[in-house]
Formats: sequence, structure tokens, C-alpha cells
Amino acid sequence: MVEPGEPFGWQTARRCGVTDFKIREIMVPLSEYATVREGATLLEAVLALEKAQEEFEHYQYRHRAILVLNRAGRVVGKLSQLDVLRALEPEDASNAELKQLMRFGFSPEFIRGFRKRKRLDGVPLQNLCTKAAGLKVEAFMQTPSEGEYVEVDASLDMAIHQLVVGNHLSLLVTEGEAIVGILRLTDVFAAVFHLMKECQLT
Amino acid sequence: MKALKSLLDRIALRVNINLRELEFDVVPIARHLVPLKQMTKFYAFYGITPNHPLSLEFRHSSLAGSYFLGRCRTNHSILYKTDIRGDELQIKGDTFTFGGHSITLSEDEMIDVQDSFLVKTLVHSYSHDPESRERFFITNTLSCHYANIHGSPIDGSFLGPFATVDLTTMYDCAIGAYSYIQAGEIGHFQAEPGTVWARSRGDFNFVYKHPVERLKTYIHFVPGKAPSGVFMDFLEARKKDFERVFDVVNLQKPKGIPANASLDRYAVIKPKMHIAENVLVAQRAYLENSWLGKGANAQENCYILNSRLEGYNVTAHGAKIIDADLGRRVFVGFNSFLRGRPDCRLAIGSGSIVMPHTIIDIDQPMHIPEDHFVWGMITSAADLETNSMPLADFARIDGRLYRGNLLFEGSGEAFVTGFQKRIEHILLDNGALFDGKRYKGHAQRNQNISVNTIQPYPEGRLKGLYPTIIIQP
Repeated sequence: MVEPGEPFGWQTARRCGVTDFKIREIMVPLSEYATVREGATLLEAVLALEKAQEEFEHYQYRHRAILVLNRAGRVVGKLSQLDVLRALEPEDASNAELKQLMRFGFSPEFIRGFRKRKRLDGVPLQNLCTKAAGLKVEAFMQTPSEGEYVEVDASLDMAIHQLVVGNHLSLLVTEGEAIVGILRLTDVFAAVFHLMKECQLT
Repeated sequence: MKALKSLLDRIALRVNINLRELEFDVVPIARHLVPLKQMTKFYAFYGITPNHPLSLEFRHSSLAGSYFLGRCRTNHSILYKTDIRGDELQIKGDTFTFGGHSITLSEDEMIDVQDSFLVKTLVHSYSHDPESRERFFITNTLSCHYANIHGSPIDGSFLGPFATVDLTTMYDCAIGAYSYIQAGEIGHFQAEPGTVWARSRGDFNFVYKHPVERLKTYIHFVPGKAPSGVFMDFLEARKKDFERVFDVVNLQKPKGIPANASLDRYAVIKPKMHIAENVLVAQRAYLENSWLGKGANAQENCYILNSRLEGYNVTAHGAKIIDADLGRRVFVGFNSFLRGRPDCRLAIGSGSIVMPHTIIDIDQPMHIPEDHFVWGMITSAADLETNSMPLADFARIDGRLYRGNLLFEGSGEAFVTGFQKRIEHILLDNGALFDGKRYKGHAQRNQNISVNTIQPYPEGRLKGLYPTIIIQP
């Protein structure tokens, strides 16, 4: 019997123990995560990621993002692997330019050809990497949105809801004003997978 | 002058309402485009000829220095040194074909300017909008210095200095300085300065973008300031020569002009000109020390200096040719700027086509072979290599061309033959092919135009505005 005000499936979750999982137990503590300060270069960010991976290799899954901290140590941005790759995109092939081409009425085939040509005319990948390495992280990091924060005491199902609705790969875990860790999609998935198996057996 | 100021503010706000989606603000542009004092200084004038239907109606408008020919109505508008040339408007009974059907005009076509502010703008040709053939409308629009509105009904739009809209119906668009648009019908579109766009749906699509920084040398325009750069300097340096032709009532016609050629009395003709048969020189054209061969023409705001045009040349509205030698049937498109130097001339071979809004400015001699197509910005041999091609090669394109700043998709043949047919039409319309009996055109019909002047209120609240004036045959 579903209690009034409780979401559907809640009883099953309770029976299988989803609510027993604590975010604190499955998050990666901030101290173990790759971080850089504002003003750092992309190369420094990538090196920080490598270092974090080496130091905390007991994690089953690799880190995939770097957090950017301000002078006060507060998280102001998140740099994903995709953000780093975005720095290698030739400037001429910007989305704005491609959108404008569509407004002129060129066909999709023409635009694909234009894109390809821009790439062929562009700078070799090695040079792009060298150039990108010196760029500042602020230019490519994503500022966390409201839905990317979750309280350390919040229930796991709430965190799952935020990940799914916001299409996020991780959430920043807060305790009061401070950010204390990262809740990664991959760790949440592992926890849920574990529960599924448990439920199957009981 | 209160009424004039409030009219200007009202027009700017109306244009802004139309451009709100683009977040384009014309208020600072409109306020600084022309000092209000200037709008009270000049008379307006209109032509009378037995060859064109006459109907003029001016209501609550300022018309300083503007010229009207044919059928035109202005309402709540400001026209400053603007030419409304209605000698190609269609008349009752003319037919046009659309969707395989032939449709007859129910009345004479009229240029209808409402709630608009046009500065040194040329309005010419006839409405190419199949939905509005009897009314060539220009409403809620602001156009800047030396813009061309050619066969293009426009509503709610902005045209920057030296912009051209050609055979295109346009709604709620902002066209940047020195942009050329020929695209059939467009709406809610913003063109960056120096965009050259010619499209015929299903046939071809041509887009060239002038390099932004290099273009600024020639035309630079920011809201709140007058346009500046080489183009403006060139025109300002010759401004005084026009004062005489506008101040003197009875000008003596230059000698040695063939009977079948036409020189507008508001053109500047400086010494050592050769004018051959069937030549057409429109008002506000400027000629000096040049040779115009048979059937050549110089349209409004054209400047031809120290140059030789062999014959049947079309020099479209606003084009400038300096220290250059052009073979027969060379077409120079709208607002092109072709400048050689006395010691390094520019030569363009017969049958070549210079795309509208092309800049050729050289300090080394340059020769463009015959039957070539030229476009874009050319200041060196390397630029010419990128921005030119034999017409026959261009006609062979069937698909795509990416070359420098040019993007082209579709049929090169349709593009080239379309251009060539249009050039033949222009030559025919201008009377270049007149043989004494057949093929009369503007060069023959515009020879005897009587010109009357009209004046604004000289003082008081309505200073600068013209009273309601209706002129009928």
C-alpha cells in the first residue's frame, strides 16, 4: 500500500534499501578529486586529473572531470573531457557560423562539405594541442547550474532524480555552504546495480 | 523644426518595433545620420516627361534635395537627397507571369514611401514582388547614405551605408554597410557588413563575405557617427562640384553630345569627356576625363574618372571607375569601387562581369582577361587569383564551390546565363541598342525632362516639412 504523499515505487525502494544508501558513502571526497585554481591552463588541468587518478587508483572508474576552484577554495566550475576537446575545435567552424550558413539557405550536404573543408584547411592536431594546452580553464569550464548541487544528507533517490532530469554526469555534494565531494553517475549506477541484484535474490 | 524632429523620432521608433526580434536599435543611428539643420536647406525637385505617367503626392514629409520622377507618394517620411526614379514602373495593362499564369496590372504602379527615413538613397526599377505589383512599398524603413533599393519592396528594415537590396522583398531585416542582397524574399534576417548574397531558389546560392578589417578601410560605420572611410572621403572630395549643377537654373549643355545620347542636367561633366551615341548618364553621376563608347552608361551616383569604356558597358548605380580601361560589354555591379592609379592602370577585358559590391584597389598594374567573372576584395595579384575565374569555368560548376571567402552552391550555368541575360535587358532598357528606329530606351526617352522645384516651410514649427502637395497631369 502506497502511503499518501509518497512517490510510486517508494515501498520497493525502501524494501530493497535504496534509502539506506548514504551519499557520503558513495561520493568521491573533494580532497581526492582533481582540482585546479582559476587561471590554470588546460594542460595543468589535465595533469591534475592524471595525478588524482594515480593517487586514488582504488576507484574502479577513472575520474572524468576537473573541478575549478576560486581563491577561497570554492568550486566555480567543472571541466569535463568534452570541454577539453572543445578547445581543439577550429574557430572558423564555430556553431554561429554554421547556423548562419543555414540561414542563407545552403543545403545540409553543402554545410557538411564546408565543415570538412574547414577541418582540412585547419591547423594540424599537434599544433592545436600545443595551442590549447596554454589556454585558460575559465574559457571552457561549465558553471554548475542549480540542479547540480545535492545535500550530503539527501536521499540517494533524490540524487538519481537530479542526475536523470538534468542529464548530468555528476553532482556537487554540499554540506552547509561547503562543497565536500562529487557524486558521480558511475558510482550511483554501481550502487543501484548492486541493489538490483540484491532485490533479485531476496 | 519641432514637427520635423518629432517625425524623425517617430520613424525611428516604428523601425525599432519591426526590428525588435533582432534586437537592432536604429534610434542612435537615425539621430546622428544627418543634422536636422541640413534638412531645411535644400529644395526638392521633380521631372515631367511625356514618356512616364505623372502622379506625385507628398504629405507630412521632408524632402530636402530629393528628386522624383514618375508616380510616387510619400507620407510621414523624411527623404534626404534621395532619388525616386520611377521611369521603369509598370503601367496599367502590363502583364507578368507567375506560376505559369499571366497576370495583368489593374492600375499604374506607384512607389509608396510611408513612415520611412531615406538618406541619399536611390530607389529604382519596379516591384518584383508578385504579391504587390501595383504598389512598390517602402514602409517603416531607415536607409543610410548611398543605399540602393532596386526593385525591392521593403517593410520594417534597416539598410546601412552603401547597402543594396536588389529584386528582393524584405520584411524586418537589418542589412549591414556595403552588403548586397538579391534573394527573392527574406524576413527577420540580419546581414553583417560586407555580405554579398545572390540566391535564386532551386538554381544557385552565392555568398561572399568581405574581410571585416580590410573593409573598414573603405567603409566604417558605427551608430552615433557618420559613415567614414575611403568611399566617403572620395565622395566628399567631389561634393563641391555638384553644388554648381544644383544651384544654377539654366545650365549650358556640353557640346558634341550625340542627339541620341542622354546627359542628365544634374550630372557633373568635367572637361575632356568623349560621349558616344546611345550613352546614358543619369543624375548625380560624375564624369571626368573619360571616354564613354557607344551604348555605355553611367547610372546614379556613378563616378568615372580618367577611364576608357569601349562601349555597351553597364556601370550600375553607385559604381566608381578610376584610372581604368574597360573593354566592350564589361558589367560593373552596384557600388563597386575599381581604382587603378595613373601609373598603374586597371584593365578589364571585354565581356567580363564585375560582381556588385566588388572592390579592386591596386598599386601595381592589373589586367583581368576577357570574359572573366570577378568578385570580392582585390588589392593584389594573389587576391585576383582567388576572387576571379573565367566565366566559362564558373558556368561549369554543378554542385559546390568553396573558394576564399566565397561559397557557391547550385548551377554555375544558371548563375552566369542569368547575369548575362540581365545585362542584355539593362542595355536594352537604357537604349544602348537604339538603331535610329527600334529599341528606344532611357537614353532617348529621358533627354527632355522639365524639372520643377518645391520648397519646405522656411520658419516655425513646421520648418523643414513640405506642405501637402499633389501633382497630377
